[in-house]
Amino acid sequence: MKKLCVTLMLVMLAVTTLFAAGAKEDASKKDVTLSVLWFNDGNESEVFLKTMDDYLKANPNITLDLQIVAYNEYDQKLKLMISGGNPPDLARITTNTLSVVVDSLEPIDNHVQDIEAVKKQYLPSMVAFASNKDGKFVAYPTEATANGMLVNKTAFNNAGIDVDEVSKTWTWGEWETIIKKVLAANPKMKYGLAVDFTPHRFSTIMYQWGGHFLNADQSSINFNNPGTIETLKWFKHVHDAALLPKSVWLGSENPAELFQAGLVAGHIGGSWNINTYNKNVKDFEWKAVRMPKGLINSSVPGGKFVASFKGSKNQAEAFKFMAAFADKTHNEIYSRDTFNIPSRNDAVVTYPSNSEDFKVFLEELKVTPAFTADEWKNTNLSKVTTYIREQIVEVLLGNITAEQAAANVDTKGAPYFK
Amino acid sequence: MKSHSKGNFHQTAAPLLFLLPNILIFGTFIIIPAIQGLRMSFTEWGVFTPVRFIGLDNFKELIADEVFWKTFSNTLVYSFFTVSLIMVYSLALALLLYRNTLKGEKLFRSLFYIPSLLSMITVGIAWRFILGDEMGIINYLLRQSGGEGVRWLTDTTLSMVSIIGVSIWAQAGYYMVVLIAGLQAIPTELYEASRIDGASPPKTFFFITMPLLKSTLLVVMVLATIASFKAYELISVMTKGGPGYATKLIVQQVYQVAFLEDRMGYASAMSIALMLIIALFTLLQFKLNGKEQDHE
Amino acid sequence: MSKRKVSVFLHYAILIVLSLVTLLPVLWVVLSSFKPQSELFRVPLTFIPKAWTLENYLSSLAAGNFPVYFSNTVFVAVVSTFITVLINLMAGYALAKYIFTGRDLIFTIMIATLMIPLQVIMIPIFLQLKGLGMLNSLWGIIIPPAATPTGVFLARQYLVNLPDSLIEAARIDGAREHTIFFRLIVPMSKPIVATLAIFSFMWRWNDYLWPLIVITDNRRQTIQQALANFVGQLQINWSNLLAMTTIAIIPVIIVFLAFQRFFFSGIAAGSVKG
Repeated sequence: MKKLCVTLMLVMLAVTTLFAAGAKEDASKKDVTLSVLWFNDGNESEVFLKTMDDYLKANPNITLDLQIVAYNEYDQKLKLMISGGNPPDLARITTNTLSVVVDSLEPIDNHVQDIEAVKKQYLPSMVAFASNKDGKFVAYPTEATANGMLVNKTAFNNAGIDVDEVSKTWTWGEWETIIKKVLAANPKMKYGLAVDFTPHRFSTIMYQWGGHFLNADQSSINFNNPGTIETLKWFKHVHDAALLPKSVWLGSENPAELFQAGLVAGHIGGSWNINTYNKNVKDFEWKAVRMPKGLINSSVPGGKFVASFKGSKNQAEAFKFMAAFADKTHNEIYSRDTFNIPSRNDAVVTYPSNSEDFKVFLEELKVTPAFTADEWKNTNLSKVTTYIREQIVEVLLGNITAEQAAANVDTKGAPYFK
Repeated sequence: MKSHSKGNFHQTAAPLLFLLPNILIFGTFIIIPAIQGLRMSFTEWGVFTPVRFIGLDNFKELIADEVFWKTFSNTLVYSFFTVSLIMVYSLALALLLYRNTLKGEKLFRSLFYIPSLLSMITVGIAWRFILGDEMGIINYLLRQSGGEGVRWLTDTTLSMVSIIGVSIWAQAGYYMVVLIAGLQAIPTELYEASRIDGASPPKTFFFITMPLLKSTLLVVMVLATIASFKAYELISVMTKGGPGYATKLIVQQVYQVAFLEDRMGYASAMSIALMLIIALFTLLQFKLNGKEQDHE
Repeated sequence: MSKRKVSVFLHYAILIVLSLVTLLPVLWVVLSSFKPQSELFRVPLTFIPKAWTLENYLSSLAAGNFPVYFSNTVFVAVVSTFITVLINLMAGYALAKYIFTGRDLIFTIMIATLMIPLQVIMIPIFLQLKGLGMLNSLWGIIIPPAATPTGVFLARQYLVNLPDSLIEAARIDGAREHTIFFRLIVPMSKPIVATLAIFSFMWRWNDYLWPLIVITDNRRQTIQQALANFVGQLQINWSNLLAMTTIAIIPVIIVFLAFQRFFFSGIAAGSVKG
């Protein structure tokens, strides 16, 4: 028995050594291997490789070493690599990551002749995100994202409400009346709306009520303002009235799962949910609608980018590669197959389905004030967002008042803006 | 108990050589980084910002930091209940399964050990599905049978109870194994003698088993305590420390301050406080167990 | 029924109830891995899949370099298990059976290092690995965590109970220190070796943080990293996650079953009677 075990182990070891050895780099060739750091929300890495297949065929000296890291640890891993002087040649980054690593990114300005011509190709909000404080353009936008509302149309139909019609102009006050009717007509449906457990999604509603995180010139935190406090109070009210499930903000249950199960009538989330629901929702009809109005209509813009770093080993090749990935043809394929909003002005994407839903998200983006993007790319704000999330929950729990939470956040955040 | 001979061997070279690989690795990968961590606790330092020495400021801030003290008391509550209940439950399992006389005993041991084989991330994912408010299996069944859902993860008290329960579920098998080894090491003659003397089972348990198992129980207690102070993955998957701050432990807070708030220096100060606390508890546990460990 | 039969029956009843509670969550993971994603969140919830499918397995095996991740992980787990068992047994022996200056100090420091949460010293560790050129190499995941304080602690606790008389006798016979260790101590340590082997295999197999720090090359990733990658920013790829989780459990169970005979075989006969 013992011998068997040892033999077994040795065989396993021998086999794996072979594999592991097979994975070693062949240093003899002069080919360039671009190291790519990536994370996935869905199928992006697959689509990315497929999209760039023609480029790699045309440039056989380039190979990609794609490392996929879980999103939860992504920023941390990237920070480790950068601070260790070992950044990847290129990385996929979110607006949040961008706010963290912006100073370590290699400006595109250094690698192209006419930077203004490049910038003009992309949505202005994307360019704003990807500009550092010296106005240098530091990342190629690959996809635009927006927050919006997806509803269970069948549930509205059951209540005799034409959600397409009412959602054109509805306010949050009207939404409350309507949603109560919807809930009454659908005994199995328990809640009116689920909002993702992130400050980013909370801020969607906060902006609608005229609130903000920072003061106008972004020089200090200013969460303690009437619009924000009103949003906090409203948020508590709708939770207490059981229009929103407590399990999301108190128990980090996933709103997308609640929506798919038909337990909530609507979901405020990112545009990528269209892709998920398209695949998984089989029991009811759903669609994207305009979000209700507070003082104004607003979404929150976001996006994903690719960028290279100061000190990346194969910068020149990395920039050529990124430029190709972000060009019109490749961007269109990538956006279509990942179900994302393209980052380019000139991209024309025909999605296999759901193009109406994308249009709604785009409309939301158009009416969104520009300062929202500036807030979300602020490095100092990104350090307080987890605290903000905790303070919102403390308000929902009734441990503190909305006013206290707003004041706490300002106290906590102030030192970062010194 | 310590009836074995007290002769240890006065040697210098041999033991040091035996220890060398361990010491080298410890020194390089734990001690040196830890010392750097200690130095960091007196500085203000972000990943991309220069280091600035600020003396004891971090520690002064710590004393006034409400969130830190909340996570501190959470950690104490979590550790106390997790460790004591793990000890009771894993001892119960070990007592049910150490005799080698029952049919299928090995199978049962393996079954109870399986949760310990899972990574904490897996454990958290599985239990979220079971305990979730709306989508959880338990609440689903309760509602199906006309009852109300229980707020396992969204009630401030219950969420702590859930976390503790799952921690016990996940680790009991591991400590059961250690305890079975300890129980089997107790000479059977002692049990026989006690039976001949007419001692009742509880009496045998308290006067023979427990005293002889003391050093193993100590091992379990120390390991479980240290593990409980470091519980990270399970809680981030199950509750993210919430609702609010209800299940947030010091490790969570350290991680957040270090990596999300980018305050490495302050995070170091927190972790030094954490280490001091764990050291204190470990010492206390050794002290409570008297001179059992001194084999000299 | 006789009193004895009743007690045996009760014994089994308790065991069966407890093991059901213990196994249900695991069973749930395994069974769900055979459900199509659309069934996972559909009310009414199902325990046993309505529509069995292997699709989750096929797609997670196809995603990334599964064979490479798998063999990397096996390599790391097997090699570190050998190293861990050997050096921890050696260290445990030194601390249990010798008297020398600084022994208690060394033991205390080792135990103290157990208390340092790895997250806290990640950055200094990263710099250290970089300085030694161990970044991005499987040895970087194998060597540093091999010296586990828990292992030393368990080994020492076990070895303290071995009778000194045996060692004395061997020494009188003229055996060298290393001969005593390899010829006498190691064979007597089977249960603790099995225990350490199972624990260490399990630790390395489930390790997430070390590979995260060390590995920057996709071809050197391990299973747990690949698993975590199914968790996106806000979306979780449940089907692949559950399938991969199920696959990842199998090797640890095999190792456990292979070693459990020694594991439970009881501490070497007579070791504590001395």
